[in-house]
Amino acid sequence: MNGVAKMVGTIARIALAALVVAGACISSTAQQTASVTVSVKNHRFQPTEIHAPANVPIELRVKNLDPAPMEFESVSLRVEKVVTGNGEGVIRLRPLAPGRYEFFDDFHQETRGALVAK
Amino acid sequence: MKPSTRLSVDARRTLKVASFRIPIPNALVVVVGALIALSDTYSACAQDGFYEVETKYIFGFTEGSGVGLEGEKEFSAESIARIGKADGRYWASETKLEYEFTPNQYVQFELGPLVSAHVIKNVTDLENRNNLAMSGFFGEVRYLVLERNASSPLAVTLSAEPEWHRIDETSGTRVTNLGLELKVNADLELIKNRLFLGSNLLYEVEGTKDPDHVGAGWEKESIGGVSAALSYRIIPSVFIGAEAWYLRHYDGSFFNSFTGDAIFVGPTLYAQLGPKAFMTAAWNAQVSGHDIEVPGSTLNFGEFTRSRAKLKFAVEF
Repeated sequence: MNGVAKMVGTIARIALAALVVAGACISSTAQQTASVTVSVKNHRFQPTEIHAPANVPIELRVKNLDPAPMEFESVSLRVEKVVTGNGEGVIRLRPLAPGRYEFFDDFHQETRGALVAK
Repeated sequence: MKPSTRLSVDARRTLKVASFRIPIPNALVVVVGALIALSDTYSACAQDGFYEVETKYIFGFTEGSGVGLEGEKEFSAESIARIGKADGRYWASETKLEYEFTPNQYVQFELGPLVSAHVIKNVTDLENRNNLAMSGFFGEVRYLVLERNASSPLAVTLSAEPEWHRIDETSGTRVTNLGLELKVNADLELIKNRLFLGSNLLYEVEGTKDPDHVGAGWEKESIGGVSAALSYRIIPSVFIGAEAWYLRHYDGSFFNSFTGDAIFVGPTLYAQLGPKAFMTAAWNAQVSGHDIEVPGSTLNFGEFTRSRAKLKFAVEF
């Protein structure tokens, strides 16, 4: 059992070191949050391009004005969220570097838009 | 675990080149063709072109930096087969039945049971075996430390994967094995949404309790490795590419005693099968290697196999 404990201990120490390194990379984000809203109607984002300030957390409100559910999804924003028909969803985004971030409705992939952070 | 099955020097010197061949490359061509056709149909349905893509699975054995999307869950079956020793017939595969989820925009978790299969016949220093078993459990945490953005095409993720095995990966015998795999997963977008360069740095440590059942305590070993992979998106839903791995094996937890190395190269494939499903495949052949117990060896069959293959199917929900 001593051997098992030593082996587990070694692995635990290595894992802990890795987590500490990862944790050290987490930046504190006690910043003001910006709010942005986008709607979906007739399977189109309105507007198709939304703007938000860079480097501050963003609260993105998605209003689905269609009766069918939609799934807001973005690879570069790294989020996905299902919004029920005639419903609303709120997505909290990390502070974004300046740039253009595409998003789409995963249930209707021709429905596309972009968030521009600057 | 591999040292438990290391061949004696004399045995290795008498080994002949294996006559055993698996016609997998031919089968792979057929499967790849079918998947590309299927994916092409999907692409046509998707109407449009080369949108942003998750890079985690586009490089074969090399893992990209992707950590998924916050709120996303995925179930997948990922099999890795190690095929061919110096003689006889050798097939050892391990399948992860994997549940993956991303709780926020930086961290991803994976966990699940492992299933192993061994088909071993007339391999020097290994018992003949033909079995399938639940072989252990794994978990993984991935943390994105550097994200790609408009001013930087580079993304980097750190990953840690602890594993517990009750079946020896190489020989298929009952063991108690604990391991930890640490990786740096980096990728670089060379052409927007089309061409990516990936690279991994690997440190893997594991210990097997008395593998030879002689009261020897824990036998520890470690592997260091580095990879480079290139992946090109030929149609919106299909990436093809190639990768190379250089692996070094040591006895001891921290690269204590070098025992051999190997270089693997081979093709990779990633295909999006639908909005919520994808597959990835890779084939690596050992093209160069050295086993310190076999002077003059040009391939290393002590710690590695003639080739290895990876096949993964995943469904997101």
